Amino acid sequence: MTIANQAAPAVAVVGGGPAGLAAARTAADLGSPVVLIERLGFLGGMPIIENYAAITPHLEPAEVAMGRMITAVESHPLVEVVLDTEVTSCEGEAGAFTLTLEGGAGGSRKISAGAVVVATGFQHFDPGRETQMYGYYEFPDVIALQDLEAMLKDHHVVRPSNGESPARVCFVQCVGSRDRQIGNEYCSKVCCGIASKEAMEVRQMLPDCEVFIFYIDMRMYGYWENQIYWPAQEQHHVQYVKGVISEVLPKGDRLLVRGEDTTMGRPMEVLMDLVVLSVGMEPSPGTRKMASVLGIEQNKYGFVEAVQPPLDTVSTSRVGVFAAGAALGPADLEDSVSTGAAAASRAVALLRSPVGA
Amino acid sequence: MPVGGRKQAPVVIEEEMAVVASTISGRTSELPAMWNRMLEPRVLRDYGSGGFARLAALQGGESLEWCYGCGKCVPVCPVDLVGEYGPRKLHRKVQSGVDLLADDDLWLCTTCMNCLRVCPKQVDMIKVMPAARGAAVGAGEVPTELQDVFEKTFRYGNCLGENPRRRHAWTRGAGVPVRVLADQPGPVDVLFYVEDYWSYHPRGQQAAQAFARVLTALGVDFAILGAEEKTVGDSQRLAGEAGLFEALMEDVAATLGRYDFRRIVTPDPHGFNALVKEYPKHGHRYEVLHYTQLLAPLVEQMPFAASLERTVTFHDPCYLGRHNGEYDAPRTLLEAIPGIRLVEMGRCRENGYCCGGGGGGMWLDGFTSNHTAERLSERRVREAAETGADILAVCCPYEVSRFEDAAKSTGNDHLQVRDIVELLDEAMRGHGEG
Repeated sequence: MTIANQAAPAVAVVGGGPAGLAAARTAADLGSPVVLIERLGFLGGMPIIENYAAITPHLEPAEVAMGRMITAVESHPLVEVVLDTEVTSCEGEAGAFTLTLEGGAGGSRKISAGAVVVATGFQHFDPGRETQMYGYYEFPDVIALQDLEAMLKDHHVVRPSNGESPARVCFVQCVGSRDRQIGNEYCSKVCCGIASKEAMEVRQMLPDCEVFIFYIDMRMYGYWENQIYWPAQEQHHVQYVKGVISEVLPKGDRLLVRGEDTTMGRPMEVLMDLVVLSVGMEPSPGTRKMASVLGIEQNKYGFVEAVQPPLDTVSTSRVGVFAAGAALGPADLEDSVSTGAAAASRAVALLRSPVGA
Repeated sequence: MPVGGRKQAPVVIEEEMAVVASTISGRTSELPAMWNRMLEPRVLRDYGSGGFARLAALQGGESLEWCYGCGKCVPVCPVDLVGEYGPRKLHRKVQSGVDLLADDDLWLCTTCMNCLRVCPKQVDMIKVMPAARGAAVGAGEVPTELQDVFEKTFRYGNCLGENPRRRHAWTRGAGVPVRVLADQPGPVDVLFYVEDYWSYHPRGQQAAQAFARVLTALGVDFAILGAEEKTVGDSQRLAGEAGLFEALMEDVAATLGRYDFRRIVTPDPHGFNALVKEYPKHGHRYEVLHYTQLLAPLVEQMPFAASLERTVTFHDPCYLGRHNGEYDAPRTLLEAIPGIRLVEMGRCRENGYCCGGGGGGMWLDGFTSNHTAERLSERRVREAAETGADILAVCCPYEVSRFEDAAKSTGNDHLQVRDIVELLDEAMRGHGEG
């Protein structure tokens, strides 16, 4: 079906990841027609793009969990999914926007929408920009969280340099986060949990492999503390070491990680077979681009600025345009689907309000 | 330093203890080798985490790994305040490859339980320490002075190596008859379990005599085991000798099984702890009271004859307070004594500071002194003196000797160390000892 058949104004959702899927589903469930626009040729967002193995914290396979969301949206009679398509302009005002779509089978076309939900997400921090000498592009055995996710999904965790199973793996936290020099002063919120989750998965897959997590402070907020952190430590024997690594050096065919053991107040140099950088979140190119196309304010880091925080998490500087998920800043899946639903509800409410809200 | 124009490496001589004389004051001071080691290459090298797995294989040893390094234990650890030992540091040491079973830190914990009280992860040193120490004992890695106490306990049934037949020698100076069950069998209300220090230590004997007089004055029907008594050995258990403890328990339970008593009353919080917590695990169940718990409900009946007019501060025994939750009975007794003004130390009740005697610390003073700036008992006596009190009241038999020594060594000779029962006895008799 197409939105042209609908009498009511549609909600345009930009981005088909967890937040966008939640937004599309919610608006449609509330009886509003929805057009879901995705730049790529498939839905699911980062969990699918980056081959996540299992989602945090309950370790359900990412494809299964996202597949459920995708099916619910694709099969919904009020949702039109537009793939391989980008939004290139947005004119008009709340209740009567005109969006220009480029790409897909239809080439360029215009659609009308009453409200817009931006759910264009994040990208992983590029460890090549890290000011510490971690050698991500230099050493094959230095990888990032998502690289390990892909290996976990394949059930084949090895040292990329030689294809052998690692005997010692470490995670280095806060890569690209909480750093004034890099420009990302914020905490990326999920990496402590993701690293711990991956650490447990490595321990389960390779029971003889020792796993260390070097951290500044573990930020396992809410239930992640006892859902992830404590089991990782107490049941899976992941070794948490306070004091983050400042450089990785080659030593023979292994990697020497150097840092301070802040607990004992001593320098520390230990050998590892595989070093996993817990990269943080940055706004995706799509988020930056859509903020510009839609004319909505961004914060200094490039994420969409919620204009009435903290009690309104989804309104942007342009009336009728709402944001959701990691387009707003670092967010876990729970945050993303929650703000997705919140943005959709606000969008539908706006369109139905007799005073135009 | 250059010699003949060539750089020569200095000759290094390392000794465990050096005496250094000041060229200015002429004073000499001792310099332990610890300070040398601080200047050694400090980089932590390759290590593994097998230490936790080895500990987890010992029953009770698994929780050390649960530490997440919050550091709450460090400011409340009595040993950390006077040395380098601390529960959080121990976790990190084991994580970085230190073999706890071969490390001196294994013997520094007094099992005072203050770390467990504050630990969000319930890292339980009260279980970790006996487990690890037990393995070290099995491997023969025990400090000599502690091994000596284990052997005395094994041979004589008391930690002091005293003649078992002289267990009740103290009764002769009590001034009241003290019934010994072997000589005068038959039912009795209170079995007074005297334990080692009240049986043999001169200051303990004075407290035992005072207790016998107080019980007599209150009309309590009581008796002792005399030569048949053996130590409960709870501190030996916590110091790593679970086998010795269990052998003692079988002896003690067999002895107790021969007599008809209603309840056991002991002055020793360590023995008390084992009787209420360990014995039931093995099927030995008794009604057990610390002596302060027996006496506290009886204060209204106490025939006080004198007002003591003293300022008293009270030291909570770890094994009566934190381990078993009894903070009020001793205070009820002190506050009942006419003329006594009770002033509390900063650290009291739940966060009371440890005297250093628990968990085998009583018998490791020499060993511990190599790792601490001062004894825990000295730190505690300073705190007691700061309250302005002229009496430090105690109700654990370990403490009188520890604190009296500490009062002398810290220049606080004016501070008298008295068991609560001695103060009760003095106030009831209207005069002091003698």
